[in-house]
Amino acid sequence: MLRVEHIVKQYSGHTALDDISITTKKGEIFGLLGPNGAGKTSLIRIINQITGPDSGKVFLEGREINRNDISQIGYLPEERGLYKKMKVREQSLYFARLKGLSKADAKKKLEYWFEKFEITSWYDKKVEELSKGMAQKIQFIITVLHEPKLLILDEPFSGFDPINTDLMKKEILQLKVNGTSIMLSTHNMTSVEEICDSIALIDKAKLILNGTLKEVKEKFRSHIYAVQYKGMSFGFANALWADYSLVHSEQIDDQRSIAHVKLLKGNTLNNLLQAVMPAVDIESVNEVMPTMNDIFIRAVNGEKGGENE
Amino acid sequence: MSKIGLIIGREYSTRVKKKAFIVLTVLIPILVVGLMFLAMWLGIEKKKHVNVLIADPMNLCNANIFVGDEQNPPATFHFYQAQMDSMTFVTRNDMKAYDVLINLDPKVITYKTIIVLCREDVSSDAMDYIRNKIQLDMEEYFAMDKGLAIDEYREIRQRIKFEWHTMGATEEQEIRDKAQAIGLVFSIFIFMFILVYAAQVMRGVIEEKTSRVVEIIVSSVKPMELMMGKIIAVGLVGLTQFLIWIILIFVLMIGVQYFVFTDIMAPENWQDQGVAIGQISTGMETAEMQNQWAIVLFDYVQWPILIVMFLLYFIGGYLLYGSLFAMIGSAVDSETDTQQLMLPVMMPLMFTYVVSIMIQGNSDGATAMWLSQIPFSSPIIMLQRIAAGTVGIWEVVLSLSILTVTFIITTYLAGKIYRVGILMYGKKSTWRELFKWMRQA
Repeated sequence: MLRVEHIVKQYSGHTALDDISITTKKGEIFGLLGPNGAGKTSLIRIINQITGPDSGKVFLEGREINRNDISQIGYLPEERGLYKKMKVREQSLYFARLKGLSKADAKKKLEYWFEKFEITSWYDKKVEELSKGMAQKIQFIITVLHEPKLLILDEPFSGFDPINTDLMKKEILQLKVNGTSIMLSTHNMTSVEEICDSIALIDKAKLILNGTLKEVKEKFRSHIYAVQYKGMSFGFANALWADYSLVHSEQIDDQRSIAHVKLLKGNTLNNLLQAVMPAVDIESVNEVMPTMNDIFIRAVNGEKGGENE
Repeated sequence: MSKIGLIIGREYSTRVKKKAFIVLTVLIPILVVGLMFLAMWLGIEKKKHVNVLIADPMNLCNANIFVGDEQNPPATFHFYQAQMDSMTFVTRNDMKAYDVLINLDPKVITYKTIIVLCREDVSSDAMDYIRNKIQLDMEEYFAMDKGLAIDEYREIRQRIKFEWHTMGATEEQEIRDKAQAIGLVFSIFIFMFILVYAAQVMRGVIEEKTSRVVEIIVSSVKPMELMMGKIIAVGLVGLTQFLIWIILIFVLMIGVQYFVFTDIMAPENWQDQGVAIGQISTGMETAEMQNQWAIVLFDYVQWPILIVMFLLYFIGGYLLYGSLFAMIGSAVDSETDTQQLMLPVMMPLMFTYVVSIMIQGNSDGATAMWLSQIPFSSPIIMLQRIAAGTVGIWEVVLSLSILTVTFIITTYLAGKIYRVGILMYGKKSTWRELFKWMRQA
């Protein structure tokens, strides 16, 4: 769907994007992650053609992107903003028409969304009369009104209460089902795990991690298993020898404990179970997968992933 | 509709629908016309006719003062051939009919001082009239007293008219200067319009920037389109306001003239008055001045040309300064930060404004000539020269061309700075930084 090739962007003296290349698939939700100031907004602005790259190219559906493609993109900037003194309907129509919709078309689509969100009573309100969350909803509608093929959402959940966050997630997933490709930039790692199919992590202007959620998690898999057992934790620890390392252990009641064990030297889970079975009664075992939160922090701190030390 | 059209449409309609715009647009003409007529009305009110009682114990006037055949004189003279003191004048019932008491007692001859007692303030018209008539009468009395024949005296008394001529200058020069003064009115108008509306452009840019709405817009249109759309729309708002003012003032003037002051408004009446009052006093010169103004207003100034030129220079000057103000607006986070950046832009504007007043009467001097070519001052200065008629067509064409080229260049450069500036937050911008952005974009 979207292909970004070797983008470099420099601002007087510092490099905002250093040779960034990413590809997103049609109909997937792509998470663009990175710490503050990493260069995400710069990249988003280049895709939106608000600014141009110093070198590198952006392709949309295989063609190099041009001004006309702007009507195919919907953009929700991180810093939200609407004309405060303008009425909701007037304003929504204005933005829709700037994206190239005809007046009649824009009206029809506006009605659909306002009825869907049950907010038709806001039509004649000025934006300054709305609460922050209400204005956010309007902004979301404005972003998707022209049915873009590519939707770029920068922190779409900020400013929403849990109920509305949930509503937004549902809407985003629905848009995905309808075939919209979505690029989502957020610091909320939980929502990344919930809805993203692929991610790219940018830090200090460089792309440091890229792939499907599954691939990335696989890469950062640390081969740690959580074993819940009944018996003496002393006995459990003694049963492990040098090929395993006990990362963490926790007593949950008088008899039970959970131990996090890391496999070393090519051992398998079976080996582990064989080793500890004589000592304790095993109740459950499962692999501890790294959360996106862990991965984010580890990647930004310089870990490449895939190295099992 | 193209995108720039949409932007113009939004900017225009929100501004025109603003209460402040509507109030100002309607109020100013009412205020202008109202004040004009208030001044006239006060003038009329003062012209109350007064009855003057001349107490003339020595019969100096012979119970007669020559008043000519003036219609509606501001005062009528009555005579009383005995002494009259102020107490009596105040208390006696049959004196109530008189507003003013003048005692021509023997002291008048010795001290050449006449004491005039008024029950209440008398208009300056009536004062002039009374003074002139009595002065003339007394002078004739003194002349005869010294043994001059009245005819001889009148011959001596005849006023000598002074004609001032600067060498090489003609009456046409005077008229030209007056025409230039009319141009000055346009100069001031352009100056104010540029200031008010360019500042509005700047505020609009700042508002879009601080409300962050700008990022959504530039994801749909080019920054240049947004900037131009705003500048054009605000300019159209200005022209709309100007047009409404002209029409409203015109309509109100006609209306008031027809329904309230049917007689005073007729130009013949002003001239009559001028001449009549001017019989002895300096009024004669006033009348002449009025005539010259009439010539300037009705014959000399070529209004259609002047108005077309006004529009052209207004548009050119506004686009030039509007783009600079838009640029400044894009570089700051709030209006309070604009001061430092505004200074270099405001200076030429203020300077030109001051110069435009200083060059009165010197419409073809070197200053006027140069400043009517420099694009930062030509919109304000050139109109004076066009009004004065001291400018060749080629000069106007040249000046307009320079102005056009300049505003295209400034708009282009301002656009470059604008597109960087609107997305730049939290930085206190200096001119050096702006130039950096210009190269970067």
